[in-house]
Amino acid sequence: MRTLRALLLLGGLALTGWGLTGLLTDHYIEHPLDIAEWAVGALVLHDALWLPVVCALGATLARRTAVRTALILTAAVTAVALPAVLRAGTDTTNPTVLPLPYLRNWLLVLAAIAVLAGALVLRRRRPGGRSKAEDPTEEEH
Amino acid sequence: MDDITPTPRRRPYDLPLPPPPDALRRGPLREGTFSSALHDPRTAVVLGRWLGAALLTCFLTGLFSHLVQESPAWLPSRPVNGYRVTQGLHVISGIAAVPLLVAKLWTVYPKLFEWPPVRSVLHALERLGIAVLVAAMLLELLTGLFNTLQWYPWPFPFRQTHFWLGWLATGGLLLHVAAKLPQIRTHWRRARRAARNTGTTGTTGTGPVEPQRRAFLTAVAASVGLVTLTTAGQSVPWLRSLDLFAPRRPDLGPQGLPVNRTAAQAGTTTLPADWRLEVGGPHPVRLSLDELARLPQYEAELPIACVEGWSASARWGGVRIRDLLALAGVPAGTALRITSLELDGPYRVTELPAEHARDPLTLLALRVNGEVLAPDHGYPARIIAPNRPGVLQTKWVTRIEVG
Repeated sequence: MRTLRALLLLGGLALTGWGLTGLLTDHYIEHPLDIAEWAVGALVLHDALWLPVVCALGATLARRTAVRTALILTAAVTAVALPAVLRAGTDTTNPTVLPLPYLRNWLLVLAAIAVLAGALVLRRRRPGGRSKAEDPTEEEH
Repeated sequence: MDDITPTPRRRPYDLPLPPPPDALRRGPLREGTFSSALHDPRTAVVLGRWLGAALLTCFLTGLFSHLVQESPAWLPSRPVNGYRVTQGLHVISGIAAVPLLVAKLWTVYPKLFEWPPVRSVLHALERLGIAVLVAAMLLELLTGLFNTLQWYPWPFPFRQTHFWLGWLATGGLLLHVAAKLPQIRTHWRRARRAARNTGTTGTTGTGPVEPQRRAFLTAVAASVGLVTLTTAGQSVPWLRSLDLFAPRRPDLGPQGLPVNRTAAQAGTTTLPADWRLEVGGPHPVRLSLDELARLPQYEAELPIACVEGWSASARWGGVRIRDLLALAGVPAGTALRITSLELDGPYRVTELPAEHARDPLTLLALRVNGEVLAPDHGYPARIIAPNRPGVLQTKWVTRIEVG
């Protein structure tokens, strides 16, 4: 394991150094600080805005497994689809880029997720279904 | 969550730092802020494995694509769909990495608020490395995703930034794995060994962890499946009907094919009246469209495989490049330089390697799917060759010469 660790360490240092050198010396990149700004911005938005919201939701509204799963699916689909939803129709120079009804598709998928999660919750509430107390995956916090 | 506190080893090369006063330990820095049992090393290791596989696939396919674009001669002309597969995989693995990265970062979020914030110089360096790794990963996935939409809201150039950030992020990943290797080993398997080694019993005060973890990992896996299935149709033909969010649909566009750069964008909507195809060589020839059409015509089923991940197969018709070379007296197996009518752009002049020039499937295409090329597909003539990035399949060709 010591050898593997040393190899990973050396490889990691080499790749990091190579990447940093490239970012700083590539002629096409005139202002490397712009990239640093965007990278730090992404980090701050993710760690200081997005994750606190997720943790707050997880500790309050989203206590049931079905709701949690639905929210995780919603977040994943939104992360991938929202840029397309926002961008579609704004640049018309090439109609083969973003040719689909992204807003409609996004809302349809979100609705499908909500319906599935709702059905799951209802089924567990019904007599004969598994009750909340029996659900071993519920979290209390 | 920090149930792995390895016995402090003497590290002669490390410099311990004094802990800050406890009065500063406020807000999320307090113990017990994060109560979910899933902020644990086992969940982090499972997610880390999935994420690592996606990122490594993404990095290697991206590197491959970069090399191929920088020096096309590096790539053989077979398999016909080679680049289509690797670049499709690049974008698929990148999109799959989005939910995986977000889930992984959520799992280890409490680590951000660990106390004391820095224990030693080495610990401080490791934390700085993680900040660089996370920032690079976030920006890498963001720029990649936006590039597939041809959306560039940032002030820096995409291609170079995405390339160098990839090295930085992968280097950071290797360093991270090196730093965490003992924990990764301990939690690689679900077996009780992990519990025994760390003193935990596999449960928390609120119930068994394993079902919770299974539910969470299932949700994350389902997310990966969902974003993959609803976007991969831009490169995987049999997933086309599920393509809901990809920026391209391989059958939408003029003549049933998407376009990366339109004739209007390239300034090639009208063909100069005196257009002739020039073929340089010992006996240079200039051929009109009619003359080209009288040469032996061939058809080839070949994909356009774009660097942005989408690909589409089409039936191309036209003249074999090697026949044109024979006309001009250029020996087979010569690398060529292809010039487009477009006014500017990094791919106005491209290289066609010897192996591709010789290949019987490589055409100067005049038709696609039985019709004369639309201006957006390169009218009057374009290069179409097996196994190469779409940007090198030069459109609006005006000159072919020895490279």
